[in-house]
Amino acid sequence: MTSRRMTTDRTPADRYAPEAGLDLVHRRAVLDGPIEVNFRLAPGDRPLVSAGDAIVPGAQIAERLRDPRVVELPPGVTDDGARVGDRWTAPDQPGTRFRRGSATGAGELLYEHGGHWAIAGGDHQEPLDSPLAGVVRDVRPGIGIRVQAQGRVLRGVEALGDPTSGRLSLGSDRGDHRHPAGGLRSTSLDVGLAGTILVIGSRVDAEALTRARAMGVRGVIVSGLAGKERRDFQGSEARQRAALHRLPPFAVLVLDGAHRRPIAGPVAAVLEGLVGSTVAIVIDPPALVFDEPGLELTPPPAGHIRVRSGEHAGREGHWAGLAGMRRFAGGTFLEAGWVAFGGEAPVAVPLADLERFV
Amino acid sequence: MSDPRAFLAFDLGAATSSAALIGRLAHRWRLLGSLALPAPIEPDVLAREVIRRAVAADHGMARAIGLASGNGTGAAAPIATMPPQLIARSIAPQTMVVCAATERAREPYLAAARMTGWRTRSAILDGSDPLRLIAALLAAEVDVVLVGAGDPPGPDERQHVEELAAVVTGAVARRPELTVILAGAMSDHLGRIEAAGGGDRRGEILLGPAASAGDPPGSALRELLDDVRGGPNDPRRAAGRAASALADVLDRRIELIEIGFDGGLRASASPAVGGADPRTTVSIVADAGLVPIDPGDETVDRVMAWTTLSLDRHRLRDRLRELRISPWGGIAGDGARLRLAAARAALAILVEATPEQSALPAPDLLIVAGGAFAAAPGPAIALAAADVVRRPGAVALAYDHARLLGPLGMIPDGGERRQALSDLADDVLTPLGSVVIPGGIRAGTSAGRLTVHAGIGASETDLVPGGLELVDLPPGEVATAEFQFRDMVRLGTRGHRFAVDVSGGLGGLLVDLRDVPLRLPERAERRRELLEAWQESLWTTRDR
Repeated sequence: MTSRRMTTDRTPADRYAPEAGLDLVHRRAVLDGPIEVNFRLAPGDRPLVSAGDAIVPGAQIAERLRDPRVVELPPGVTDDGARVGDRWTAPDQPGTRFRRGSATGAGELLYEHGGHWAIAGGDHQEPLDSPLAGVVRDVRPGIGIRVQAQGRVLRGVEALGDPTSGRLSLGSDRGDHRHPAGGLRSTSLDVGLAGTILVIGSRVDAEALTRARAMGVRGVIVSGLAGKERRDFQGSEARQRAALHRLPPFAVLVLDGAHRRPIAGPVAAVLEGLVGSTVAIVIDPPALVFDEPGLELTPPPAGHIRVRSGEHAGREGHWAGLAGMRRFAGGTFLEAGWVAFGGEAPVAVPLADLERFV
Repeated sequence: MSDPRAFLAFDLGAATSSAALIGRLAHRWRLLGSLALPAPIEPDVLAREVIRRAVAADHGMARAIGLASGNGTGAAAPIATMPPQLIARSIAPQTMVVCAATERAREPYLAAARMTGWRTRSAILDGSDPLRLIAALLAAEVDVVLVGAGDPPGPDERQHVEELAAVVTGAVARRPELTVILAGAMSDHLGRIEAAGGGDRRGEILLGPAASAGDPPGSALRELLDDVRGGPNDPRRAAGRAASALADVLDRRIELIEIGFDGGLRASASPAVGGADPRTTVSIVADAGLVPIDPGDETVDRVMAWTTLSLDRHRLRDRLRELRISPWGGIAGDGARLRLAAARAALAILVEATPEQSALPAPDLLIVAGGAFAAAPGPAIALAAADVVRRPGAVALAYDHARLLGPLGMIPDGGERRQALSDLADDVLTPLGSVVIPGGIRAGTSAGRLTVHAGIGASETDLVPGGLELVDLPPGEVATAEFQFRDMVRLGTRGHRFAVDVSGGLGGLLVDLRDVPLRLPERAERRRELLEAWQESLWTTRDR
């Protein structure tokens, strides 16, 4: 026994107003307003912007150290007013003897101990570019740069990789990212997709992600990413970071979770509207950011419901009223609501499995 | 509270929001209805639905306590007034970095932080890259830094304490909003760290006792860490107060165990004796939440040990990640069993983290609470508790089904709190039954016999070592269980014959003759079969 179909002549609508109980269903915002995006910095990274600066997509905002290490300076090679977070560059006189760590020409002051400073230094820097336009709100060396992003935001549950931007493209094999079986096979990728952010249906594997990055794809938007693929991709990312010649930044935005389910209809509608536009994936918070003031989006009708998890996961329908406490498969009793899928009779679905869009 | 005829008690947790409607009927408070739904949900929406149902169920009663006006009946009846509200709102979990010069010095500080509800990270200076320590201190999610050292510092610490203070000073200069606790000998470096933030300093700098200070040792530091995290407004702390008041009201030793989304609570309370205050020990363990943020191998192993589902590690990890993202999602089907397996794993963490409370004598009443158990039937909850909280003895079990202990613990006046609990105890606690766990049962064909004398007659059961015996004893029924064991066992005292008063519940009387602590087969398949067999008899509502 799973969910129950109504068999009485009275429909739920006879007993409740159609919208009754709808406010008990979890609300999910399709789009969010402007957000602050954080670009994390580690000790030794060098910010290149200041609070109040306006930045455009592609602007370099920091220089990251790839191989940071602690180096202890000899006494007397820093200014008297030196402070934590200041940059230090080696004086022109040769022969500076470092107390700990190998020689470095520059670094960031970390702490003072026993009359000398320790710095974070390294030999290789790489640029950190902003994938979006906005205004720098705060710069904190060693911690991060906060940017007020310009545009609207589609939030995900997780983002992996580095902040990136590209032209949005629907990349599903079946050409149907709304389909539960929609996915991405590594063999279907080619260099023609370079520079794009691909919208993929329900799931993607690590091999396809790795190949996508190698082909110059800038990012992938997917509904679910399984734990194994996630782990494999993170391992691949770590190896890529260690490589001498890095590829352009690449990110994976996960919209729903770990399970296979199609992208929600109202979210898919936004992504379809953005095809061809330049969008950005940011990591903290995990989101897709786009600045398309001309893009008009019709909100889903009131009562539009998506089943997020459980037996009907991924299906969308219309709210038909509260069903009260119901018995479900596995012998559990849960608060439920009636949902009508297409022209079918309403089905009781646990309230906890439902979401509506605002 | 002034003099209301009804009030609403909200428990607004990280994953579950619940509302309970309480009305004054026949000169005492009664629980009239409750509703729990996935968070976040507006308290007002929840309140209206609970009241709507109460009004629909009994319009006369609703009118008597001022909830309904005279117009309309049933579901269409308007709500007259919104009653006063008592709200327990979970504090957002906070992260503390515990750092010390050496691992040895760090351990007691880390243990204290873990038992006071902090999400912990730790770092040491000795033998590790200072950059790691600095990165840990600068992580955006870190709210508080606890820097500890022995008092006086041990020989292994002395050479590193100065540099540790320097590293922390450097981090504090970058993050002036950080709260810093200098404990033990680290308090000697107060001046240096105070100067680090310059005029921009926004976080507090607190001097804490050494990890061993207080009676019992460590209590002084735990008290401080508890205050810094949330103090008396923490709903888990409030639930501890409710447990204390309940021990007093019922005159019984009580243990409250709660597993929530972001942590667990274990409160052990004894009633006041001879005019003294009740004795209560409260431990809040952030690691004992239903599922951690990023379930790793250790979490998968722990849940795998309790699950009856045939899942490989990858699929189980995915299910746990989904559970973290949507803790109420997918409960129908096998979701409730997975949730209960995760709850058992969390319960085991809670018990491991609180050995001092495990060493106390078994309580008279064990109360189970928390969203982790919300979708499970009562008997299955009783078995989950018996599986993990294992001490020889006879314990009555109850479940805080309406999630009321937290909100009732928020009543500021101790007298009013006790009065409310005195009125509501029977409504708040769903009786799950009684569990009898004899210690020292030896293997064999028979461990002895059990005779249960209840109002409806007597029943006899043969006791099989390693098994679970279930005696039907409905809620409200009281019985005497007479045990005659073949060998000497421990059941409060050592002996062969025992007569124990037991109370009934949804799970009846559970005589648990399994090992203490429970030993499960190594082979996954065999373990699943065994767990399945035990749960089969107690998950009475499941599909067969």
